[in-house]
Amino acid sequence: MIRRVTGAAAVAALLAGLTACGGSEEAAGSTTLTYWMFQDRTPQAGEVVEKIRTDFEKANPGVTVKIVKIPKDDYNTKLSSAVAANTVPDVGVLDQPLVARYAMDGTIKELPAGTVNEADYFEGALNTNRWNGKLYGLPIDHTAVALFYNKKLVPTPPKTWDELKQMSDAIHKADPKVAGIVVPKGDGYGAWMWPGVVHGAGGEMVDEANKKVLFDQGPAVEALQLWVDLLPSSPREITDSEMAFANGLAGMMISGPWDVATIKDQFPELDFNVAPLPYKTTPAGNIGGENAVVFTKGQNADLAWKWLKHLTSSENNTVYAQALGGFPINKAAAERDAGSFGEQQQGFLEQLKVAHARPAVPEWIQINDEFIAPAIEAALSGKQTSQQALTEAADKTRALLGWNS
Amino acid sequence: MVGWLLITPALVYFVVFLLYPAGAALYYSFTDWNLRSPAEWVGLQNYSDLLFEDVKFPHFWKSVQVTIQYTLIAVPLTLITALGQALLINAIRRGSNLFRLLLFLPVVTAEAAVGAIWRWLYDPQYGLINAIIGLFGIPKQNWLNTPELVIPALAFIAAWQCGISMIIYLAGLKGIPDSIREASIIDGAGPVQRFWKVVVPMLRPTTFYLVVTGVIAALQVFGLVYVIFSGGGGRSVTGGPEQSGLMYVLHLYLFAFRYDAMGAACAMSFLLFLLIMIVTALQFKFIKQEAA
Repeated sequence: MIRRVTGAAAVAALLAGLTACGGSEEAAGSTTLTYWMFQDRTPQAGEVVEKIRTDFEKANPGVTVKIVKIPKDDYNTKLSSAVAANTVPDVGVLDQPLVARYAMDGTIKELPAGTVNEADYFEGALNTNRWNGKLYGLPIDHTAVALFYNKKLVPTPPKTWDELKQMSDAIHKADPKVAGIVVPKGDGYGAWMWPGVVHGAGGEMVDEANKKVLFDQGPAVEALQLWVDLLPSSPREITDSEMAFANGLAGMMISGPWDVATIKDQFPELDFNVAPLPYKTTPAGNIGGENAVVFTKGQNADLAWKWLKHLTSSENNTVYAQALGGFPINKAAAERDAGSFGEQQQGFLEQLKVAHARPAVPEWIQINDEFIAPAIEAALSGKQTSQQALTEAADKTRALLGWNS
Repeated sequence: MVGWLLITPALVYFVVFLLYPAGAALYYSFTDWNLRSPAEWVGLQNYSDLLFEDVKFPHFWKSVQVTIQYTLIAVPLTLITALGQALLINAIRRGSNLFRLLLFLPVVTAEAAVGAIWRWLYDPQYGLINAIIGLFGIPKQNWLNTPELVIPALAFIAAWQCGISMIIYLAGLKGIPDSIREASIIDGAGPVQRFWKVVVPMLRPTTFYLVVTGVIAALQVFGLVYVIFSGGGGRSVTGGPEQSGLMYVLHLYLFAFRYDAMGAACAMSFLLFLLIMIVTALQFKFIKQEAA
């Protein structure tokens, strides 16, 4: 009896979790455009999206836009299944690092030349849509990480790396129970932030056109060394505490706009602001956010691009980006509406002007997680020097991509 | 005829949701497939790459090592805790229902909540665990951020969630005939002797069942690790400090849904299937199963 029960349990336990489902529906109307996006963050965001949708339908008689909202965590799985099952929407949101992959296998369409005026968009955000030098989508909002600082501990935010190190030292010296800054970790998240620091030393991660890996060069090594040098004044046993910055245990941290709302909500007495990341030679930062693409197997491609122009127009983009929790990618909109963003958000607006897109390499997420993150961790834990760790990671990246230098 | 009709619902469920996906996964494990383009037949390449290609799968063997270490610690710890709890509940006369409920609660708590709670308990500054060990003069530890401490910390959570094993042990204890207990008392056996000479041998079938199913579950642990290490930034799913918590199935999940390598992920699931089969077969061969 036991034999049979355990056997069945073994088989059942093993086979569970190997399935995923997806699908989409059709709606009536003379021309229906299907648009997939992440689920609204707030009811107000839903109203904004609804207004933008009805405006578009009024301007284009006979067109119905059907918006399908999918929880962010399930989105990529659902989209992949839809692509596999040939049930893709006409147009939809796509994570930045996925654009290169989807472009490579022809899942999404190239943006027809002359559709938009590229100068209307922030360069960093637009570049997240580029693969092999061509655009395969449009950014709909963007975001970045910047320097959060506790005003009580940091009277004026540091602008350069030297100022950052001095500030961090001063904070920890004044009170050994308080860390200077929450130094990012060697995980996927830390590895996503790190290129912003590399660019701040005038460096690049890779040179896609010439197939060169560059994150073992001087600027990248200095960028990693900066984090290593910050650790003595920012001990992990302090900064690893949950919400260390919000609890006043750290003077500074690097994070994104999503933390502003959380901190204001849960720690209303914390007096903090946000400034652009300190740099060595050039102000710079990383970029995140959402792009939208037109699917090869979808319908109404022209209308789909028109819809994306509508979402990214100077009239609509600020409210739409705010609804998505990011910032406008339309320069005119960003400039005109800067006042509608709160005090802390100004730091991000400033930061985004110098944002750099991550490398347009289809395997980038894997390189980020499996090579760069462990290298950062190895240097931060003192197991390797910054140079050793990055040389190793860069060599592995070259081997994976088949690049020679 | 009627017999077939009666098992039809179960059979349909089995074929549609278990047999077909498993067969498809076996097929895809021999292909290069990213869920979007048509799958390309590559024969055994996924398997050989997984086992031998350090560039493509730099952390595969690390994930195997982490998972085995976890299993070796978590399974015994869970069984000992479960048996201890079952003995205590079995011994008390009143309120056993209440304690049974309380000890079972961790099992039915949502994994996301369990992860959040334990992140707080293990907090290096304010955590309850550090406060408790501080009473014994042990210095504060940074549990979830020290590579050497990650697996014991995770195994401890698994032991805390031992409710199902505890219930099964409790049933096993109730199944020991009173006559045997009385006979041993008459023969002059003390409580310790009774435990080792009567209770443990009589519970052998139960223990065997729990070891086998426990090992299978431990080798497939996923949700808790995913939740624990994706807190904070929200995207740091790479398995804790220095991949020290990179469980096999988490690694598999990353390749399936983050790195676009569904074919390789399917191959990983079949390698795990083989490993579990071998381990289970060895257990059936070498562990005593009958009560004595």
